[in-house]
Amino acid sequence: MSRHEPERVVVTGAGSLGWYGVGQDALAIALAAGSPSFPEIERRTGVHPRKPARHAGLVDGSAIGEWVSPREGRRMGPASRFTLAAARMALQQAGTSAEAIGGPGFGIALSTAFGSTRMTEDLVLEILDDPESTSPFLFTECVANAPAGQIAIRLNAQGANTTLTQREAGPLLSVIHAARDIAAGRLDRAIVGAVEEMPPLTHAILDRFSALAHQGLDGRELPRPFDRDRDGIVASEGATCLLLERESAARARGAEILAVIAGWARAFDPTAPAHTWGAEPGPLADCLVEGLSRFGIVPEDISLIVSGASGARRGDALEAGVLRASFGDRLPPIVTPKAVTGEFAGGLLGPGVLAITGATFAMPAGFQREDPALGLRPTAIDGPASRALLTGLASGGVSTWLVLESAR
Amino acid sequence: MSSVSREARPNDGVVIGLGAICSLGSSVCSLADDLFGGRAAIAPFALFDTRRHRTRLAGSVTDIPNHARRHSRTDRLAVAAAREALGDRPVPASKRIGVFVGTSTGGMLEGEVAYRDILVGKVRASRLVSQPTSAPSEAVARHISARGPVESIASACAAGSMAIAAGLAALQDGEVDLALCGGADGLCELTYAGFNSLRAVAPDACRPFRADREGLSLGEGAAFLLLQRREDAERAGTPILGSVLGSGASCDSHHMTAPEPSGSGPARAIRAALDHAGLPGEGIDFINAHGTATPHNDAAEAAALRSVFGEDLSRIPVTSTKSLVGHLLGASGALEAVVTLICLRAQCVHATAGEGPVDPELGLDVVLGRARALERSRFALSTSLAFGGANAALVLGAG
Amino acid sequence: MHERIKKLIVEKLRLPDVTPESIDDDTPLFGPEGLGLDSVDALELVVGLEKEFGIKIRSPEAERDAFRTVDSLVDLVRRHLEGGEAREATVES
Repeated sequence: MSRHEPERVVVTGAGSLGWYGVGQDALAIALAAGSPSFPEIERRTGVHPRKPARHAGLVDGSAIGEWVSPREGRRMGPASRFTLAAARMALQQAGTSAEAIGGPGFGIALSTAFGSTRMTEDLVLEILDDPESTSPFLFTECVANAPAGQIAIRLNAQGANTTLTQREAGPLLSVIHAARDIAAGRLDRAIVGAVEEMPPLTHAILDRFSALAHQGLDGRELPRPFDRDRDGIVASEGATCLLLERESAARARGAEILAVIAGWARAFDPTAPAHTWGAEPGPLADCLVEGLSRFGIVPEDISLIVSGASGARRGDALEAGVLRASFGDRLPPIVTPKAVTGEFAGGLLGPGVLAITGATFAMPAGFQREDPALGLRPTAIDGPASRALLTGLASGGVSTWLVLESAR
Repeated sequence: MSSVSREARPNDGVVIGLGAICSLGSSVCSLADDLFGGRAAIAPFALFDTRRHRTRLAGSVTDIPNHARRHSRTDRLAVAAAREALGDRPVPASKRIGVFVGTSTGGMLEGEVAYRDILVGKVRASRLVSQPTSAPSEAVARHISARGPVESIASACAAGSMAIAAGLAALQDGEVDLALCGGADGLCELTYAGFNSLRAVAPDACRPFRADREGLSLGEGAAFLLLQRREDAERAGTPILGSVLGSGASCDSHHMTAPEPSGSGPARAIRAALDHAGLPGEGIDFINAHGTATPHNDAAEAAALRSVFGEDLSRIPVTSTKSLVGHLLGASGALEAVVTLICLRAQCVHATAGEGPVDPELGLDVVLGRARALERSRFALSTSLAFGGANAALVLGAG
Repeated sequence: MHERIKKLIVEKLRLPDVTPESIDDDTPLFGPEGLGLDSVDALELVVGLEKEFGIKIRSPEAERDAFRTVDSLVDLVRRHLEGGEAREATVES
């Protein structure tokens, strides 16, 4: 194939919100502390297990008023409001605005695992009651691509508008999808990222799936990535958005380049059941190494792994297996930000950018005892990484990896 | 008639397999047989109690093969069409095949049953396993033991076209050697009640482009294309059934449910698709329109087509497959791509079903009554205009 | 009835910066000079009016003029109530 050398795609802005508060700074503080204090979630749905998980990474909705006014948010569900707030933070950090960059070259690629769950649950219950008196507001917001459509209107993003739903692999997929469009000239810039909301009913259902962490020996309900006693995720909500653009465009307007999209790899594990992870790391590792080689990247080039390990027993075991098979005995340091953010689709992108720009990742409170079956452990780091591999292994079989590197 | 030519390119995405299931037929063959008869397959259906809803009809599928215990209705539709597209060919080096699937609601029908149970304090987790919109792509990939990239796109009514575009992009970038791409959506009460709450559903079968059109009809189904780079297909001597030459996408960024009236959004998607294909507008021999039959959609879409093709539009036959099978939402773009390829090969455009005179305001040459034979049948355009303002367009070729 | 409809508008349409008292009987509901509502708001109002007054508005498109002001909405509801189109279930309750 004869193709001109595509220009590098870079990250110039990042916005984030979660239980830890609003903004990348709030996230950095939480990662540096390493000891999350997840709020308690309401448990009156009637379907919780007898010993229910009691905490979730819930967003304090009042904290986003600065970014989304009540008037413009009146017809938005939480997912749309979270996304709009995070997208505006990303634009602000990038030193630009919707007025400056809106138009046909500005696209959106957004991921979500479960979509607008709160509105969907409400609408289904209304339909069971009486389909003829269901709310049009609920329907327009429960559609999976509602957040992407809403932020496109507010940010005047007239380019390709894509909503990707691939559970834990979705956030990295959104970066890949838009980076490819930008590299090919189909877009000039894009907001990418992920959003999730965690209403009590979704939380209860995840608990019934035995997906959630419960009180450990230390009496705390924490995600424990790679820990011997890990017993599930802490389900969270929030949003992360990044602004991607071509390197030349970023330099032309004097923007600070936070990170460069250096490459990616993708794979599917057909042995994975629909509701959990598979157990064969070998073929996934082959796909990872082969996929990165298309970008001229070899495992030795990676200086840090920003792992998507979440505290899920099978998921973390598969993650560890893939990393060991890919890196052998030259495994770089590993950080596990979901130990702090909890599991929500965006819990990886914000920390991934912070890893390149330079942040402190404390040893997470949830990690206490190494799991000999895994053969690896998280590390505390302090300072920027030159090249980080972000990993997104989803339950159900889809895996996505992304390499971010420093612009220097 | 102008004589537009386009050189075949080595990295064109060519179609080497097709699969479809919808109310008009459960395979591409049966669909092709009934397509040109021009009779709509939109009728009362028994999937849920429509007496509780404002309208009663849909393009529903009656016999859906079931290949796995926990598959949702949408998963089953997806796997049926994907199997047909793959045919009996062995899939070599399965990490070089990617699966790209559009859907709008995934396994929501089963989710609704689960929620009904939850109201009485019962949780059957098995019902919810396949509810997420990520499930259909994974069901297909698992079924064919694919090990390459898997991507689910949930951009409502443009999702199917976008999934084909995503597969084409991965193919042309060299990330995969085969792209199995399409869309799937089963009917569910959520979309049925939802579109009714927006008063967007016609009481009778939908009548696209008619002056007194009253709204859309919902449908269900799935469709897949198996794509390969032209150079690879030619080297292997694989029969080529058609091609996906260009894709384009845009967003109205105007309103969540109403299209921007000037059609500037879809017009940009169409121009981008033509540009990607390296084809001028004069090269388009017919248009398979989004044509939902809502008053606003058809008007905005016609405005988009007028702005792209200008006076040349009067030469181009336009049809709407939704008049035959209803609106397949996340599968519609994929099914309409399959139908467009069938029409290109048959050198014939199927008619837009429904009674009544065409809306003269639209300025379209709508194929009515019976199928229309084409003098030239090389390139066609398929458009999708989605909820949330997301638009997508595909340029398809006969070979 | 005017007050009930104003309250319905504020609550159903989640208008954060509007109180029922601040809406005049002839305030335009649509367009920038008035409350700035749109077609989706109108449909949400239809559902709200149907529930609140036990009526059934079959074709909101045909009733477009009725959504101009609170006054015209009151007329619309009265016409439907007098037309005997009330839904039994709601009337009984």
